[in-house]
Amino acid sequence: MYRIGFDVGDTFTDFTLHDTATGTLRHFKLVSTPADPSEAIAAGLRTLLETLHIAPGQIGFIGHGTTVATNMVIERRGVATGLITTRGFRDVLEIGRQVRPHLYDYTVRTPVPLVPRALRHEVSERIDAAGAVLHPLDESEVAAAADALAAQGVEAIAICFLHSYLNDAHERRATEIVRARLPDVYLSTSSSVLPEFREFERFSTTAINGYIGPRMERYLDRLLGRLAGLGLTVQPYTIHSNGGLMSVDTIREHPVRCCLSGPAAGVVGAAEVAREAGHANLITFDAGGTSTDVSLIEDGLPAFASGRTIADYPVRSPMVDVHVIGAGGGSIAWLDDAGALKVGPRSAGADPGPVAYAKGGAEPTLTDANIVLHRLDPTALLGGAMPVDENTARQAIARRIAAPMGLSVEQAALGIIRIAVANMSRAIRSVSTEKGHDVRAFTLFPYGGAGPLHAAAVAAECGIGRVLVPVEPGTMCARGILLSDVSLDLVRSGIIPANPAGWSRIAQHYATMLARGGAWLDGEHIAAGRRRFEHVIEARYQGQNHEVQVRLAADRMQLGDFLAAFAEAHRREYGYDVPGRGIEVVNCRLKAVGLIDRPAPHFIGATGAPRAKATRQVHFDEGWIATPVFERAGLAIGTRLSGPAIIDEMSATTLVPPGCVLRVDRSGNLLLENGA
Amino acid sequence: MTDPIAMEVFSNRLLSITEDMGSTLIRSSFSTNIKERKDCSVGLFDAGGRLIAQAAHIPLHLGSLLGSVHAVLAHCDVAHMRDGDAFVLNDPYLAGGTHMPDIAIVTPVFIDGAVRAFAANVGHHSDVGGPVPGSISGRARSIFEEGLRLPVIRLVRGGELDEDLLALIAHNSRDPEERSLDLKVQVATNVRGVSLMRDLVRRMGLAAVTAVVDDLLAYTARRLRNRIRDMADGEAGFTAWLDDDGLGGDPVPIRATVAVRGDTLAVDFAGTAPETRGAFNVPESALRATVYYTVKTLLDPDLPPNSGLFDCVAIRAEPGTLVNPRFPAAVGARSITCNKIARALFGAFAQLLPADRAMASSHDSVPAIIFSGPRRTGDGSFVYLETIGGGMGARCDTDGMEAIHVHLTNTSNLPVEALENEYALLVDEYALVPDSGGAGRHRGGLGIARQIRATRDGVVFSVRSDGHMLGAPGLAGGMPGGTARLVRNIGTGSEETLSSKTASIVLAAGETVRIETGGGGGFGVPSERDPAALAADLRDGKVSAVR
Repeated sequence: MYRIGFDVGDTFTDFTLHDTATGTLRHFKLVSTPADPSEAIAAGLRTLLETLHIAPGQIGFIGHGTTVATNMVIERRGVATGLITTRGFRDVLEIGRQVRPHLYDYTVRTPVPLVPRALRHEVSERIDAAGAVLHPLDESEVAAAADALAAQGVEAIAICFLHSYLNDAHERRATEIVRARLPDVYLSTSSSVLPEFREFERFSTTAINGYIGPRMERYLDRLLGRLAGLGLTVQPYTIHSNGGLMSVDTIREHPVRCCLSGPAAGVVGAAEVAREAGHANLITFDAGGTSTDVSLIEDGLPAFASGRTIADYPVRSPMVDVHVIGAGGGSIAWLDDAGALKVGPRSAGADPGPVAYAKGGAEPTLTDANIVLHRLDPTALLGGAMPVDENTARQAIARRIAAPMGLSVEQAALGIIRIAVANMSRAIRSVSTEKGHDVRAFTLFPYGGAGPLHAAAVAAECGIGRVLVPVEPGTMCARGILLSDVSLDLVRSGIIPANPAGWSRIAQHYATMLARGGAWLDGEHIAAGRRRFEHVIEARYQGQNHEVQVRLAADRMQLGDFLAAFAEAHRREYGYDVPGRGIEVVNCRLKAVGLIDRPAPHFIGATGAPRAKATRQVHFDEGWIATPVFERAGLAIGTRLSGPAIIDEMSATTLVPPGCVLRVDRSGNLLLENGA
Repeated sequence: MTDPIAMEVFSNRLLSITEDMGSTLIRSSFSTNIKERKDCSVGLFDAGGRLIAQAAHIPLHLGSLLGSVHAVLAHCDVAHMRDGDAFVLNDPYLAGGTHMPDIAIVTPVFIDGAVRAFAANVGHHSDVGGPVPGSISGRARSIFEEGLRLPVIRLVRGGELDEDLLALIAHNSRDPEERSLDLKVQVATNVRGVSLMRDLVRRMGLAAVTAVVDDLLAYTARRLRNRIRDMADGEAGFTAWLDDDGLGGDPVPIRATVAVRGDTLAVDFAGTAPETRGAFNVPESALRATVYYTVKTLLDPDLPPNSGLFDCVAIRAEPGTLVNPRFPAAVGARSITCNKIARALFGAFAQLLPADRAMASSHDSVPAIIFSGPRRTGDGSFVYLETIGGGMGARCDTDGMEAIHVHLTNTSNLPVEALENEYALLVDEYALVPDSGGAGRHRGGLGIARQIRATRDGVVFSVRSDGHMLGAPGLAGGMPGGTARLVRNIGTGSEETLSSKTASIVLAAGETVRIETGGGGGFGVPSERDPAALAADLRDGKVSAVR
C-alpha cells in the first residue's frame, strides 16, 4: 500500500510518497499552477503512479495541505458576501478593535472590510449576556434582508448576531429563513463556525468563512474530479490549521479552518520526526524564499494559539502557533541614506527572484550572498534543475553594497548573511526566550529551502546547542501530512465561575461536545479504540481579560483537578499564581482525534564511508576554505563528519561550518553540534 | 561609522532585550491595563542616561522614560548606587513623570562593579488613589488631588524588596493586590533586562558595546537630519484649540511653531495658553513624547527610538503655560491635550513637508467614557473606562482611516459581549457616524457612535472628551471633519446634550448616553473627488445624498 501527502504552496507543489511495504519515503517538487492548483496536483500524482508503476487501487491514503483558502483572502478573490446582523451593529466588522495597525506609519492601513457596508444589513433581534431574548427576531426583516442581498448579487451570506455563542436560536431561525429563500447561496452562521464570545473576531471569522466558501467548494470539486480521473478511490483528507486532517465534507462547511493548512503540517511533521529521533523540545525554523516561520514544541506538543490575522483580518480557530517574519532567501539587501546595511523586509520573492536566477532581479538578496560565498552551489540549484549565474550576483553586490561601504564583495556578502541571521534569530528568541523558555533545552529544527543553510549560524547566535536537519527539508510540509491524525476542534464559550455550580455547567458543555465529537468520528469511520479526546479549558482570574490554557486529562475532569492545574499553568506562564482569587472559565475546548493507522517510515541509508562528490572553495567567517561537498543520499547511518562541509540534496543545502560536527542518526536526520 | 554590519547585528540583539522585557512585563502583569491594553513601555539607557533602545507600546511613552532616568541620576550619584538597587517614581514635578498613574521603575546595570547602563520600564496603574477612581479627573485643581506622589525612592536595596514601602504604595490604591502584583512584575522585568544586558556585554566586550552604542545613536541622528533636510527651510505655525479647560472656561489655544534651518529642527510653543485650572496641563515628559512622536511619524516612521532622535529636536515651552505647567498644577488628563498638541504640530509641519507626507487633522482627541455601578449579576461594583477612536485625516493620496485611535494612544475597545457580561450596561449601537468625514479630494475618516444603556439604577457616568465645538480642519482645500457630541436619552422627551467634560451624572435603569466622536479633515477640494469613490460612499451610506 502507498500513502501520499502533498502540499500546494505558492511556488511549488511538494509530494511525499510513503511505501508502507518497504517503509521508504520519496519526495519531489513540481511548479505550482495557481490558476487551477489541482492541475499541478494531478500532474504530480500521475507522474508518481506512472514512474513507480503503482496502480491507483494501491493508494490507501491521500492527504493535502493548501494555501488556496489563505490566498483567496490575501488576494481578495473570494465571492461577494453579505452580512445579516443585530440592529445597531453592522459596523462591528469595519470598526474592529479601533486600533491603527502601525503606531507611527499612517500609510499602513486597516484592511478594507471583506463585506462592504452596503452589503451589511441589520435586523431587529437581541439576546443579552445571560442568553435571554430581549427582543424577538423579526422574521420579516430577515426575509427582506435576504431578498435585498439576493438583488445585490451576493454568493454568500454571513449571519452574525450578538451573544449567539450563548443562544443560537435566532441565528438558526434566520439561517432557515434565508436558506428557504436563497437555496443556492452559501450560508455561514457565527454560532456554527465559532461559538466563542468577542463579537468582532467571531463576525470576522464567520464572514471569511462565507467569503471563501463557494470557491473552496469549486476547488474541492475540481480536486475530486482530478483524483477520480486518475482512478483514485480513496477520499482525500485536508490538513487544517491545528495540524489535523479533515474530510472534504467538513472543509466544505468550515473552509476557514484550513487557513493555516501548510505551515501546520510542517510543524506537526517536525514534532513527529524529532520525537522519533529523541528530541522532545524543538524550535522549528522554516525559512523559505520570502518568509521565515518559527514555532515552539515543548514535550512533543506544538504550542497552539486560538487565532491570528490573515491579511490583517482576524481569524479565530485553534491553530498551531507559528510566528512569521518577512525574511527569507529572497530578502533584498540595501543601504539606506545614512549608511546602514539592511536586509529586507522587501523581498525579490519568486519573481523576479535573486539576481543570480537571471530572471530580471537587479537587487542583491540573501540567496545571492550565499551564492557569491559558494555556500550554495554557484552553478545550479534544485539538484541541477535551476542554473544560477554567480557573476551577475557578484556584480550586483559589488556595485550596490560593497563599493559604497568600502568593503570587498566577500565582506559585504558575509555582512548580508550576518544581518539576516540576526533578524531570524530575533524571531527565534521571540517564541522561546521571550516566552520564558531556556533555549539550551531545545533543538533547532530547520526546514524549507533556506533553513538548513543558516541553521548553524542561527543556533550559535541564539545559544542553541543542537540542530536536527530532516531528510529533504524542502518538502517537510508534505511529509507532515503523512504523520497527522484526523481531528476536529470543538468549543463552548461563556463566562462561568469555577465553583461547584459552575462546574456542573462545564461538565454539561463537555458532555455535549463529547457526543458531537463522537458522532463526527463515527462519520470519519474511526474505530472506538483509535479515538482520543483532548480537553483544554481557557480560564482567568476575575478582573483579568486574558486567558490561560489549562490542559486536563480526560480522567481528571474534576473541579479540584482543574483549580490545581490552573494555578500550575498560571505559574508556568506568568511566574506566579494568586491563591484565593476567584477564577472564571471562558472557553471549554475539546479536540476529538482519530488516530490514523500508519507504519513508521523506515530509513535505508547508504553504506560505507562518506565520499565527497566534489570539493569547492567556500567562504566562511574564517575566509575561503576548500570544502568537501557530499550528496546526502550517500551518507550512511552513523556517519560523522567535521565541518567545514556542505551536504546537498534535491530540496535544500545544509551548511556545516568549521568547528561544527555532523552525525547521521538512524532515521537519516543530520544532527549538528559544536565540535568542542 | 565604524562598522555598519556590527551595528545592525547589535541593534537586533538590543531589540531582542527590549522585546523580551516588554513581553515579560505584559505577560506577567496582572492588570488589564498593562496586560491587555499594553499601556506600558520598557527601555535601556547607557550610564550617562542616553536612551539606547525602547519598546514603546503607546507613543505617549516615547522618550518619557528619559525623564525618569534623568530624575534618578539627578537624585542619586551612581557612586551611591548598589548592585541590585531599583528605584520607583511617578511624580511629574519631582521625578520626570507624565502623570501619576504612570509608575516607573529604574534599575542600574552593574558590570564589573560599576554602573554601565540602566534598565527602565513604566506602566499605567489603573488607580493610584485620590478622590476619583482611576485617579484622573479633568476637574482636579492640583497635583494633590491626583493620587500618591512618588519622588525618586529606592524600592529595592541590594536585591531586597522593601515590602513595607510596597505595601504603603499599594494601599494608597483602590486595588492594592493588583498594584502590588504589577509593581513586583515591573521590578522583575528590569532584573531580566539587567541579566540580558550583562550577557550581551560579556559576549561582546564593554569597549565594543560602547563603540556600537555611539554608532547607533550617531546613525539615528544622521538619518533624521537627512529627513529634516528634505523639508523646506523656514518657519510655520498652527493653532489648535481645546474646547475649554474642563471647568467650563473659554476655548484654550495651543500654538506650535516649527522652524527648519538646514538639518536643524526647533519647535516653539509661544502663543499657547497659560496653564489651566483643570487637569489638562502637560508636563515636560509628556510634551517631549508628543514632539518626538510627531517627528518620527511625519519624517521617518521606522526611525529607531533613541537619544539620537531626541538630540535633533530643540523644544521651547514657556514656564507657566499649558505645555509647561508650574507646580502644583494638575496634569492627570494630559492625553487629550497631547493629541491637540499633535494637531498643532502636524498643522505646522504640513506647511514645510513634501506634499506626500502631509496629513489633514484627525479627530485628535482621546475621548474617555467612564461608567461605574453595580455589576450585571448584582454582586459587587465595577469601574469601566474606555477611550474611543474617531476619524483620521485624509492624505494627499488616500482617504483617512475610519474609526481609529490617533497620535499618542492606540488602545483597543472592549468587546460589546465582554462589556455586557461584566457590567449593568447594554450597548444599543456601535457604529460609524455617517457624514462625519471632512469632504475633499480625499475624504476624512468617520467617527464612532457608541450608545450605552444602564440596566440598573445608580450607574454613574463621566466623560472627558473634546472637539465638540470645532471639527478637525481640512488641508489643501479639504473640509473639516464632523464635531463630537454627547447626548443623554437621545430620541426621548428628556433628550439632553451634555458638555464634553461631564462629571458624575447618575443614570437610572433604561437611561442612555450616546457619544459620537469626531471625523477627520478632508484633503484637497471636494469637487476633485473621484466620482467612483463618491458613488461608493453614497452606496455605503458613509455620505448621505442630501449633503
